[in-house]
Amino acid sequence: MMTALKKDIIVRTIARLFVPFIQIYALYVIMHGHHSPGGGFQGGVILAACMALLMISHGVEETRKRISEKTMALFSSGGVFIYVGIGVLCLMMGGYFLDYHMLGSLLNVPPAEARSLGILGVEIGVAIAVMAVMYSIFYTIATAGNDMSGDEHNIHDDDGA
Amino acid sequence: MTLFFQILGMCLFLLVFLVLYRVVFGPGIFNRAAAVSALGNKTLIILLVIGFLYHRVEMFVDISIVYALLNFIGTLAVAKYLEMEQRKL
Amino acid sequence: MIVTKILAVIFMLGGLFFFLTATIGILRFPDFFTRLHATGKGDTLAVFLFLIGFSLYEGFTLTSLKILFIAVFMVLAQPTATHALSRAGMRCGETILLHEEKKEEKKNDSSI
Repeated sequence: MMTALKKDIIVRTIARLFVPFIQIYALYVIMHGHHSPGGGFQGGVILAACMALLMISHGVEETRKRISEKTMALFSSGGVFIYVGIGVLCLMMGGYFLDYHMLGSLLNVPPAEARSLGILGVEIGVAIAVMAVMYSIFYTIATAGNDMSGDEHNIHDDDGA
Repeated sequence: MTLFFQILGMCLFLLVFLVLYRVVFGPGIFNRAAAVSALGNKTLIILLVIGFLYHRVEMFVDISIVYALLNFIGTLAVAKYLEMEQRKL
Repeated sequence: MIVTKILAVIFMLGGLFFFLTATIGILRFPDFFTRLHATGKGDTLAVFLFLIGFSLYEGFTLTSLKILFIAVFMVLAQPTATHALSRAGMRCGETILLHEEKKEEKKNDSSI
């Protein structure tokens, strides 16, 4: 039934027009986390919302060809890796876990500025992880679990078993 | 000027209750979806009026941009789901 | 300075008027598609006038440019959402009240 309906041209055009601006706004929300309402989680949700807009207007198949599930799995692990990586880096410099002022000697900045930069790095990791997980949730619900991408591997597994 | 914004906010708030009648009693789901979209528009303006009342407009403008976006995507998602399912609720 | 503030108040009152008529429309119109007319056109114009009024009230700062960005987004996005909803209503077979049927209804009601 999904392939029988032609995609509407008005919704497609407006979505293609808006997605870059929404992504820039999401980056703005991530970067200004300590000045105005925002931060890592909110920016990640806005990024996932613009990918949901692409899925609604262009169809799930088209979006899957451009952003595969493997990429999103790598992104989610990468986001958590950035978060824990900054914490362990502070641990290796001699402080506690996530004690940012130890990064001051690494970057040649005073400790107060090192705290601000450490929080910014952690927020970026959180945003990437949140975006990947919400995209995966929306994709699984939209296709109702019938994944079209890994059909070759599944066929081989059935023959082997 | 504060009194003007307060009266404006109260009028918009009363309009929200009028639209809620259509959300509750609209026969069928399409009337309810259209009324929820109208409700989102009024909420956007009420947010900005509250920002003017508390003299902190910068904070509330960011929130209202996000709410306008989410209202738009929500209405599109509901319309697409109902068109795909092809049934009358 | 006082001229821009008076102009901003006039825009805001115009927006409030269009909100009022759009709400009366969505309550009193007889059919789904006519109610979509009321909310799709009236609400969009009202939000646009309100946001122009807010932007004039603030002056020329970064905040007023952001408010103008919301206004442009609303004018482009709200009619698209209305179009998507009406297309879905057409596919699912929402009843369209034609002019002859409404006259028949009135004649039957008045005859009783």
